Amino acid sequence: MTLLFSKIAQNNIKTVITRNNDLQILTISYRKLSIVPSLYDGKEDPAPKFFSSNVQVLLKRLTRPDFNKVFRKRTNSGLAVLRTPKYKFLTNEELEAEILKANKKADVLLQMPPVVKVHQPVDDVLSKDPALVGYDSAKYLFTDITFGIANERRLIVERDPDGTLRHCGHDVRKRLNQTYFPIPGRKIKEPMMFTNEDRFNSLLDRQEYEFLLDRACLQYEPDEASYQRITSITYQHIDMNKSYDLLRSTRHFGPMTFYLTWHQSMDSLMLELLQSGAVREGVLLAALRQALLGDVANGDNAQALAQQILPTPIQLAKPERLTEEDIQLDNKCVECIEEYIVSNSAMKSQQELALQGFREHYQQLIELSRGLKKAHGNA
Amino acid sequence: MSLPPASGTGRFFAKAAKSIRLIRQGCTNRPFFHISVTQRRRLNSQPVIEQLGSYDPMPNINNEKLVALNLERIKYWLGKGAHVSPPVAEILGLSGFFPIHPRTYMTAWRNRRTERENLAKQLEAEKSKEAAA
Repeated sequence: MTLLFSKIAQNNIKTVITRNNDLQILTISYRKLSIVPSLYDGKEDPAPKFFSSNVQVLLKRLTRPDFNKVFRKRTNSGLAVLRTPKYKFLTNEELEAEILKANKKADVLLQMPPVVKVHQPVDDVLSKDPALVGYDSAKYLFTDITFGIANERRLIVERDPDGTLRHCGHDVRKRLNQTYFPIPGRKIKEPMMFTNEDRFNSLLDRQEYEFLLDRACLQYEPDEASYQRITSITYQHIDMNKSYDLLRSTRHFGPMTFYLTWHQSMDSLMLELLQSGAVREGVLLAALRQALLGDVANGDNAQALAQQILPTPIQLAKPERLTEEDIQLDNKCVECIEEYIVSNSAMKSQQELALQGFREHYQQLIELSRGLKKAHGNA
Repeated sequence: MSLPPASGTGRFFAKAAKSIRLIRQGCTNRPFFHISVTQRRRLNSQPVIEQLGSYDPMPNINNEKLVALNLERIKYWLGKGAHVSPPVAEILGLSGFFPIHPRTYMTAWRNRRTERENLAKQLEAEKSKEAAA
């Protein structure tokens, strides 16, 4: 029975088991199987690695931004009636300028939420005055509202009923900052969708990952333990359901990939990449792992290959025609991934199978494009 | 009636004495104070020169009293020679910006004494009850 349970847990399927004699129905859904969140609270700080330009470039490329999704209408932004799109005739130069503008806009929209270590608790007593005991039964909170100071550097102190003057803790600071300098959309009280487990799980079940992560970004600071707990559970849920596509072209894909790689559980993502035929991104993922953990066999090769891949255009769909350079690059990628699978992968057989499938498909594609070239007479 | 802007609308003379004081802004049974700088010989109902902070004397649900202080502007007005009224001096003292005001110590001491006396009274009452029983 325990074996059966673990198998159900692996498959994450709402399963109904009917026992042969008694009509006892046992429903198991994965919401009952709790995910254990893991925070960035170890010795090593992920921030320097996350912010290094090398890793940022890899994460942005792995996001695979599809502008149709990046610039989709999400709200009518306060307008009663949506504006009709404008169509213009442009010269080539004007078109290039517009594309450049769109790229810049997309960069802003796709800016990744930072990945940093959990903050340390504040314990900073400024003075102790026992003669003040009995002055008041309430705490006094003093906020410096001087113009032009950032929230995290604002002076906020409290005078306790026992006469101690100390700096406030992070949660009190956040509450007071929100009181005097409100961030639109952030609530002073934590929203129910984060505090109530049923509601949170129902969001996960409905796969509202982007909504969840966007709201978490707004409500919490990235170095808060609750933020990291929520995002961690969400990422693991996505990983379990293999619904990475829901997060592609959003700003959350990078931190998710970073999270999975940091905790050495990016093999199902790798499998998904191989199954969808994105070997180049598979190599980028291996290079990312090399940059973060440095344990990939022949990792320098992967990183060098990643540098070759980065200038090529992003392949949003499977290519229909191939040039000789493409074929060369993809062959190198396949070799690199083979090495990765042999030495580092935790899902060897499945990934090998996926890679084999890719190889067969790719061979057909090569023959087709070479045949076409021949038929056109420029082979 | 809308609130005056924080920068204040009160006209003032450069060399006239200024005072930093609490100005009551709440309604009946709900006190709330602005910490403002005004000319010393003006009523609290008249427009102020500048608002420097706020003080909510009623504890919130977490049993906290919130005080906001624009320390930069307070320093500026102190540098200009503004007087500080005793309640504001007490608040600034508790915040660690000023030394603790003597009246704060007096209040604390008196509160402790009343508490002690109340305790003693309670004990006496219990004792007399026991003696009666």
